[in-house]
Amino acid sequence: MVAVVAGAAVLLGGGLIAALVLTTRGSTGSHSTAPVGMAQVAAMLRNVPQNGAVLGSPKAPVTLVEFADPQCPYCGDWERTSLPTIVDKYVRPGKVRIVFNGMSFVGPDSTTALRTALAAGQQDRFWNVIALLYLNQGTENTGWVTDSLLRGIGDAIPGLDTNRMLASMNSPAVTRQLDAAAAFAQKAGVDRTPTFAVGKTDKALTLVQVSSLEPSGLEPALDAALSE
Amino acid sequence: MTDRRLRVAVAALSTIGAGITAYLTYAHVTGSTLACATGGCEIVQRSKYSELAGIPVAALGLAGYVVLGATAAFRTDLVRAAGAAFALAGFAFGGYLIYVQIALIDAFCQWCLTSDGVLALLVPLTILRLRRTV
Repeated sequence: MVAVVAGAAVLLGGGLIAALVLTTRGSTGSHSTAPVGMAQVAAMLRNVPQNGAVLGSPKAPVTLVEFADPQCPYCGDWERTSLPTIVDKYVRPGKVRIVFNGMSFVGPDSTTALRTALAAGQQDRFWNVIALLYLNQGTENTGWVTDSLLRGIGDAIPGLDTNRMLASMNSPAVTRQLDAAAAFAQKAGVDRTPTFAVGKTDKALTLVQVSSLEPSGLEPALDAALSE
Repeated sequence: MTDRRLRVAVAALSTIGAGITAYLTYAHVTGSTLACATGGCEIVQRSKYSELAGIPVAALGLAGYVVLGATAAFRTDLVRAAGAAFALAGFAFGGYLIYVQIALIDAFCQWCLTSDGVLALLVPLTILRLRRTV
C-alpha cells in the first residue's frame, strides 16, 4: 500500500513539476539568468501607464526627458535611488511624464541594452527592461549585457513576450528609434549623462543643471515647470 | 487518533486549502488585486510560473483540494491511498513552487505559502489514515 501511494505521489507531483518546468522553459527556448530587483521594479511601475519609451500619462502637463546610457554608472545611481521617488511624487499622480532618450556612447553593451529596451517598448514594457538593466548593471564594456541576462529580464516581466522582444531588437523600427534619440541628444547639446530636460508637454524643453542626483536635485525644476 | 477524527481534520484542512486556491484562481482569472501582506502576490500571480499549459496553477490546487476533501468522505483502501498520494504530490509541487518564488521570481505570495502549510499538515494526516481502519 505504502509503495503504491508513494509511487502515485511521485508520478503526480513529479509530473506537475516536470510539466511546469517544461512549459516555462519552452516559452523562451534557452537558458536565462534571473535578474535581481523584480519586486522593486514592479512596485515602482505599478499603475503607471507606458507607451514606448514614455512613462506616465500622455496628458501630464510637464515632460521630463532623461538622456542616459544604460552603461553609465551615474545614470544607474539615479535610476536606482531617485527615479522611484520621482515616479511616486510626479509621474503616478499624472503631473509629469518621463521620456527616456537613450544614448549609447559608452560601448556595444549600451547599444544592445537600448535595442532590447526599445524592442520591449513595442509591448509597452520599455521601463521595466531599462529599470531591470540598471539594477543589474555590470562594469562598462565587459560584455555584461548577455543573451542570458536579456532573456532573464524578459522572462521576469509580466505580460512581456521575451521571444518577440529579442526578435525585434534589431528591426529597422528599433534602429530608427535609436538614430532619432541620438540625433535629438546631439541637437539638444547633450554631452554627458545623465542629463535632464524639463518643460511643458509639447512645448520647448530646457536642459536642467541638477545640483545632485538625489530627487531634490531635479524637484525644483519639475515644481517650477508645474507652476508655470 | 481515530479515522473519524482524521477524516474531519482532512475535510477541514481541504476546505481551507480550497478556499485559498479558489481566491487565488478568481484573482488570476479576473486580474483583480490580491490582499497581500508580503507585497509579492501579484508578481507571483502574474509570472509565467502561475500557469501550466494555460491552466492557472491555483486552479490545479483547487482541484487537488476538492479531491482531497472528497477522500475524507470515503473509507476504502483505494480512496485513502489516493488521498495520501494527492497530499504528497501536492506537497512536492508546493515545495517546487516555493523554490520558484525564492530562486526565480524573487517575490513571495503569502497565500501560496499558507496553502503549502495546509498541505504540510495534510500529508501526515492522510498517511495516518492508511493505517487506520476504525
